[in-house]
Amino acid sequence: MNKRFTLSIAKIVEETKGIKTFTFKHKLDAKPGQFIMLTDFEGGEKPFSISDCTEDEFSITVKKIGEFTARLFQKRIEDYVSIRGAYGSSFFISKNKVLLVGGGYAIPTFYFLSKILLKNKADITLINGARTKEEHIFADRFQKLNIKVINATNDGSFGEKGTVVNVAKKLIEDENFDFLYASGPEMMMKTLQKVCGEIEYEFLFERYMKCAIGICGNCTMDPLGLRLCVEGPVLPKKKIKLLTEFGKYHRDASGERIKY
Amino acid sequence: MSDKLKTKFLGKTIKSPLVLPAGIMDMSFSGLNYAVQNGAGIVTSKSLTLEPRMGHKGPVVAEFEGGLLNCMGLCNPGIEDGLAEINQFKKHSDIPVIVSVFATNILDFLKLTKYVNKSKADFLELNLSCPNVFDEFGIPLSASKEKVGEIISAVKKISKLPIIAKLSPNVYDISEIALSAESAGADALCLINTVGPGMLIDTKMVKPVLFNKFGGLSGPCIKPIALKLIYQTYSAVNIPIIGMGGVKSGEDAVEMLMAGATVIGVGTAVYCRGIEVFNKINDEITKFMKEENYKKLSEIPKLKKL
Repeated sequence: MNKRFTLSIAKIVEETKGIKTFTFKHKLDAKPGQFIMLTDFEGGEKPFSISDCTEDEFSITVKKIGEFTARLFQKRIEDYVSIRGAYGSSFFISKNKVLLVGGGYAIPTFYFLSKILLKNKADITLINGARTKEEHIFADRFQKLNIKVINATNDGSFGEKGTVVNVAKKLIEDENFDFLYASGPEMMMKTLQKVCGEIEYEFLFERYMKCAIGICGNCTMDPLGLRLCVEGPVLPKKKIKLLTEFGKYHRDASGERIKY
Repeated sequence: MSDKLKTKFLGKTIKSPLVLPAGIMDMSFSGLNYAVQNGAGIVTSKSLTLEPRMGHKGPVVAEFEGGLLNCMGLCNPGIEDGLAEINQFKKHSDIPVIVSVFATNILDFLKLTKYVNKSKADFLELNLSCPNVFDEFGIPLSASKEKVGEIISAVKKISKLPIIAKLSPNVYDISEIALSAESAGADALCLINTVGPGMLIDTKMVKPVLFNKFGGLSGPCIKPIALKLIYQTYSAVNIPIIGMGGVKSGEDAVEMLMAGATVIGVGTAVYCRGIEVFNKINDEITKFMKEENYKKLSEIPKLKKL
């Protein structure tokens, strides 16, 4: 049984307009890629990737996208929220030369991953992309880690101009990576998959989650029936290659298929 | 899987007596597949309604020492999309499928039955007992033997498939409800649905943990209640019973059979022991049969009726 913890918010950082990082003083037993469920008991409980986790605190980085996150954005330091987890699969921890490709609000999970990869002495290159400079986050934090960072924006307002996939394609052609990690919009990952060639990879997926404990079936992915809350959210190449719904559709809260 | 586990349910041969019940991993054809690959012998759809339902806002589940509280709120993609998932499942599988449907009146149950008639489903389950939509629909239908009788009689007249009635444990006398279902034409019974409902409270925020406040109890804590109600029902009727409620081991499953169940539902145990639970229970039943020298599942004795 996973215990529920009701915690007060220790720190709130506004990363950019519409994206905030919430930090809690709590020893969370979590690995990179895993997520927690969070609620304020006012209607809604949502999964959030863990963006940092140390001995005595952890953080989540949240994009304001709906009613629930709008309410979360009004919370102040010391306000209570309730969490359960950590849940789900985690990233493979390589000790070799790795490429991390992330876009938008999905990038923060790579901050936690990078710190753990560094402990394992991996050689890390990170592509941190967003549509515009205003939406680009975590650049300062990644800069402080001992890793190679390439920032990119679609409109060229910050870092290289172009999509993360274009940047990744060039890097993959020029260098030899042992492993690739991706976290970002599904269509970005779908395009990225085509340029990965022989490299082994893991992608972090998003699906509508409700129970987070593998019973309700809302987040299963076709055709294997993998429950993204248990077998995911991080899936390896050999499973991703079998997914028929990847980049095609996902299911909403009723289970109805929604096309990308 | 051991051949010893092979049995029959409503005329269909099944390779394992374990049933994936309504509401567990059954939103998609692939979820059903996953349960089958892990050892389930029969699978059930989510309870389907005429229109799609998003379900309740979260939290919709709460974990506690005895099991789970849930109030999913009958989320489902609606009868048409739900049956499309079932038909897709049946394209590649000969595992029997129970389609569960939920409605609050005879007319809607009849409409749902017409849809199911045209699908590849094997059995029709009438969910008369969801405890988590009280605010919307009031007391579950299965609290009234009259309503249970009326609905089953009406559906029986037009259903091309055998009918299973899913009953609630939260009634004064389950045997009179079960008898009413049987005499109205139910071909089998499925019990128990979740117990209670119950609630849990967050003591720091002074709020019910479930947003719906109340939710049905499942898991190990309800097994003794399930066994008692299945035994009472078995004593009263002559139709087969899908027995469920807190089963998480082979020993639990055998208890269900002895109480009168023909096949056994395994739901919350997927949370307790992982998706591998079906194969684990299959193996544990097989081991028990070997130790006690039962050659086939039907040799496992039932208790003497009440």
